[in-house]
Amino acid sequence: MFRKVLVANRGEIAVRIVRALREAGIASVAVYSDADRASLHVRMADEAAHLGPSPASESYLRIDKIVEAARRHGADAIHPGYGFLSENADFAEACDATGIVFIGPPAAAIRQMGSKTAARKLAMAAGAPVVPGTEAAIDNLQSAKATAERLGYPVLLKASAGGGGKGMRRVNAEADLEAAIRDASSEALRAFQNGEVYLEKLVPEPRHIEIQVLGDRHGHLIHLGERECSIQRRHQKVIEECPSPVMADDPELRHRMGEAALRIARAANYHNAGTIEFLVDGDRNFYFLEMNTRLQVEHPVTELVTGLDLVQWQLRIAAGEPLTVRQEDVRWSGSAIECRIYAEDPEQQFMPSPGRISRLREPSGPGVRLDSGVYEGWNVPLDYDPLLAKLAVWAPTREAAIARMKRALTEYEIGGIRTNRAFFGEIMDDDAFRGGSLTTGFLDEFFARRKAVTPELESEAVAALAAVLAQRRSTAAPPAKTSEWLQTGRESLLR
Amino acid sequence: MKYELVVDRKTATLSVTDEHFEYRREDGTVAGGYSVVTAGDVAGSVLIEGRSYAVTMLGAGEVSVNGRVFHVEVFDPRSLRGRRGPAESSGPQAVVAPMPGRVIRVLVEAGQEVAAGEGLIVVEAMKMQNEMKSPRAGRVAAVKTAEGATVSAGDVLVVIE
Repeated sequence: MFRKVLVANRGEIAVRIVRALREAGIASVAVYSDADRASLHVRMADEAAHLGPSPASESYLRIDKIVEAARRHGADAIHPGYGFLSENADFAEACDATGIVFIGPPAAAIRQMGSKTAARKLAMAAGAPVVPGTEAAIDNLQSAKATAERLGYPVLLKASAGGGGKGMRRVNAEADLEAAIRDASSEALRAFQNGEVYLEKLVPEPRHIEIQVLGDRHGHLIHLGERECSIQRRHQKVIEECPSPVMADDPELRHRMGEAALRIARAANYHNAGTIEFLVDGDRNFYFLEMNTRLQVEHPVTELVTGLDLVQWQLRIAAGEPLTVRQEDVRWSGSAIECRIYAEDPEQQFMPSPGRISRLREPSGPGVRLDSGVYEGWNVPLDYDPLLAKLAVWAPTREAAIARMKRALTEYEIGGIRTNRAFFGEIMDDDAFRGGSLTTGFLDEFFARRKAVTPELESEAVAALAAVLAQRRSTAAPPAKTSEWLQTGRESLLR
Repeated sequence: MKYELVVDRKTATLSVTDEHFEYRREDGTVAGGYSVVTAGDVAGSVLIEGRSYAVTMLGAGEVSVNGRVFHVEVFDPRSLRGRRGPAESSGPQAVVAPMPGRVIRVLVEAGQEVAAGEGLIVVEAMKMQNEMKSPRAGRVAAVKTAEGATVSAGDVLVVIE
């Protein structure tokens, strides 16, 4: 096993990995940019290395600086987390070339899955269903028109190098095709330095369901079931759960999707943790979308339901140990839900809200897991992704998990910045969510039917009372009465 | 004593004595005896007729009650400061940063005529870009920032006249 591992990431995922390393008795090395000197992951790690200025392009995306830091600190392996360099084949190769173990899949698998068209070809060859479409990038309008005609409108344009919805366009009719190709291609070029786009049939009202796979370096590969990730905003997931409500009355679907995922992973000579994303239509047909060759943000829901620690297995597998869990050993118990807590304002088009966290109270109690990257008094920098923490719960049933999530959300207080925390409480109360009928269009429909919630009168009165008493304390010159806010606390401390 | 308040953008009044309060908002009134204790200057407990509320002062006018966050502005009756009226729609108008961020593009320069809704400045934070648009037709009186500058929420970026 490794003696020391460098964590090439920041925020909650760096904290998650440092925790796993500490439990395994392995020393940890954090990395940080100027903006992250005081970050939680730096405080928690055993050692820390400065990378450079705040922009990710000058710090967390610098392969040379990260490999150099690993060498300087004597780390024998690097965990890339998610995002940043986690799906960069050059980074994996640079680690290999320096004799440092990259905790992840082989560089060749990252490269192959990094191209959506190459991944599609591989999935088709492995006998997995894919969304009808072209495997090749569009090179002229005439053939694109012919392809779209054959698939039938509406169709979807996607970027070959894409992700996160960039370079993606829905096209309803042939008249819109030319302009859509131009827009999608230029957006893809700006985002990924690669303007290639291709065509797919648009799957109407799909669910987004992914399968977790785990394999060792000796050819043993298993799947850990699904995660339902249909609740997305701008193609970014915000709520994930396991099991998917659609599996509740159709366990055979989990088996079929798991088998398809394993065929794809095998064809890519995959090892370590990976995720295969599918679209599932109303008739429960599923189609391969892409493979994420890394640990997913939402891995905690799988861990809660299967009882397996994915990060610990990543470490063991990278160190060459065999995966001792057999497929028939994997059990799915109960129900887990995760909400991604972002520094953004749901009342103002989810505008980012960086700044100082003036107050923080974190939820706890039975069945609650919080993977957080922040602490009270810390300044959330404006340079990176707004993910602050992931709140996950486990309960024996989905209904109980929803109730538990509501309870945990009310215990979670974050002051000084805006977050989407309260917004999740509304979703937990939503009938469509509770009914489990989820599609990737869920949030758009939710916003359309969302009603302003009138707060309960007495709670609001209590807020007003507290604010008035606090203000009276801070402005009143004469000594305050015993019942006033603040004064009572100070007096009791003096006694 | 009686206070005027704005709670989550709606007006309300609170009359309060040492043991008793009456809270009135547009759609209802609630009154009763209360008791308050606090630990430090952040967290406290409020009891109303035996019903328990956990209260946390989150700062900047935000109060959390059993996990529900309220934005409360209090107007002291003894204070001479009146509530400010709505912003003027004629005369010079400031375009302010809606969020902390970095100015990545300045699309106009001083002296230039702009139409209502025309893009002025692009501010980026947390990988999201936000284009600030002109609130009305007019002339750019001043650009108060530059590309690459870091701005705070509320900072004046451009003045339109």
